[in-house]
Amino acid sequence: MFDYFANPTRFVRIADALFWPLVIVASGLLMAGLYYGLIASPADYQQGETVRIMYVHVPAAWLATLGYVLMGICALFYIVWRHPLADVALRAMAPVGAVFAMLTLVTGSLWGKPMWGAWWVWDARLTSMLILFFFYVAVIALANGFDRVERGSRPAALLALVGVLNVPIVKFSVDWWNTLHQPASLIRSGGVSVDPAMLTPLLLMLGGFHLYFAAVVILRMKTLLIERRITSLQLRQNRTPAPARETGQ
Amino acid sequence: MNGVVQQIRRDLLIAWASRLDIGVILLFFVIIVTMFPLAIGPQPEILQPLAVPLLWIAAFLSILAGFDRLFAADLRDGWLDQVALSQLPLFAYVIAKAISHWLVSGLPILLAAPLIGLLLQIDPWVMPSLLIALAIGTAALTLLGVIGASLATGARHGGGLMALLVLPLAVPVLIFGVLASVPETGQLLTPHLKLLGAIMAVLLAIAPPVAAAALGEADDDGGS
Repeated sequence: MFDYFANPTRFVRIADALFWPLVIVASGLLMAGLYYGLIASPADYQQGETVRIMYVHVPAAWLATLGYVLMGICALFYIVWRHPLADVALRAMAPVGAVFAMLTLVTGSLWGKPMWGAWWVWDARLTSMLILFFFYVAVIALANGFDRVERGSRPAALLALVGVLNVPIVKFSVDWWNTLHQPASLIRSGGVSVDPAMLTPLLLMLGGFHLYFAAVVILRMKTLLIERRITSLQLRQNRTPAPARETGQ
Repeated sequence: MNGVVQQIRRDLLIAWASRLDIGVILLFFVIIVTMFPLAIGPQPEILQPLAVPLLWIAAFLSILAGFDRLFAADLRDGWLDQVALSQLPLFAYVIAKAISHWLVSGLPILLAAPLIGLLLQIDPWVMPSLLIALAIGTAALTLLGVIGASLATGARHGGGLMALLVLPLAVPVLIFGVLASVPETGQLLTPHLKLLGAIMAVLLAIAPPVAAAALGEADDDGGS
């Protein structure tokens, strides 16, 4: 299974087969989630209509965190086994995760203004998400910081791995430091504390976000692989390669 | 072990040959501290609660400023190749580098801290806990800087990239460091200090292998 995916051509074939089903199911889930979230679900008794921000905010935060963990796993695979696809996956995930972290911060900020009366407060949750965003940016910067693109792979993987170790410490330290954000309400002892009317759209959006993440990462991985192949073909023809640059970063 | 001592001696000799650089880092530290009262205003009632955090931020920035060329010079003049060929493992070389770098950048800052504390009117009773926390904190930051410097060696914008890598990693050190500097109960061994020590211990375990892996890659690349 491990070696099976090491062949890029095989990966591209599987990616092609997966891409459109993922896109279709993701957009179906997202549309249903948006319908239930924006139209068919009640407003909160306390927060009013602004509670609907949750249907974007929570899945984005979830994916930003999950994306970082997945990136760390890829980093481990790349460092230990030098798995060629792990590097491509890491590079593909980093910007997507960074965008989700940014989305979490922006939607949280929009939610914070009416609820807390401020766009930004120096609270544990907000600060640790901001630092997670910085970690993403650092990995992206390091992966593309060298003249020869592949040279950045190992440093970026090492940084991502150190970051995975550091993220719980960051979270823990800022939790001690200051907190205002509400605690987790979806997964906690004593069961889910969200009303079914709000839980349905939230779960739909969560599923949609996951599949969307997978689809975008697969697309980016494919693009990166093709880009590498073009570069190596150009090198083989003894022409100067196109300026070393990765798509969309 | 002998190799580590030799490497430290070499680095200290080089540092002593250009001892003006140590003075520059120290001066940088003092100037950053001076900037804050100028920006905030000289009122003691505003400055006093900010004094300890200011000291920490100034110490952080001045240690980071010294990291630019930690491995770059060794890579350029071929020393790193020699180390890779010698019996000294790369992680031992990294440990030696961290120790010598702390001696030339962390220690001077630590020695200057009481004086700066005087300028900022830090309560003398806070000084012992502040110095202990600062000693552990600068050591932890040195280890983080070693990670950052090794990862960024050979990159296009080494210096700026290094700060980008190290500062997010340094958040826990800063938080627990400042908390440990001003103990609420008056006793020295606070939970915050223990946590700071724990972070240092974790960094001591992960920094040498990570930096060694990154330097191995940089060395293979032929010192671009």
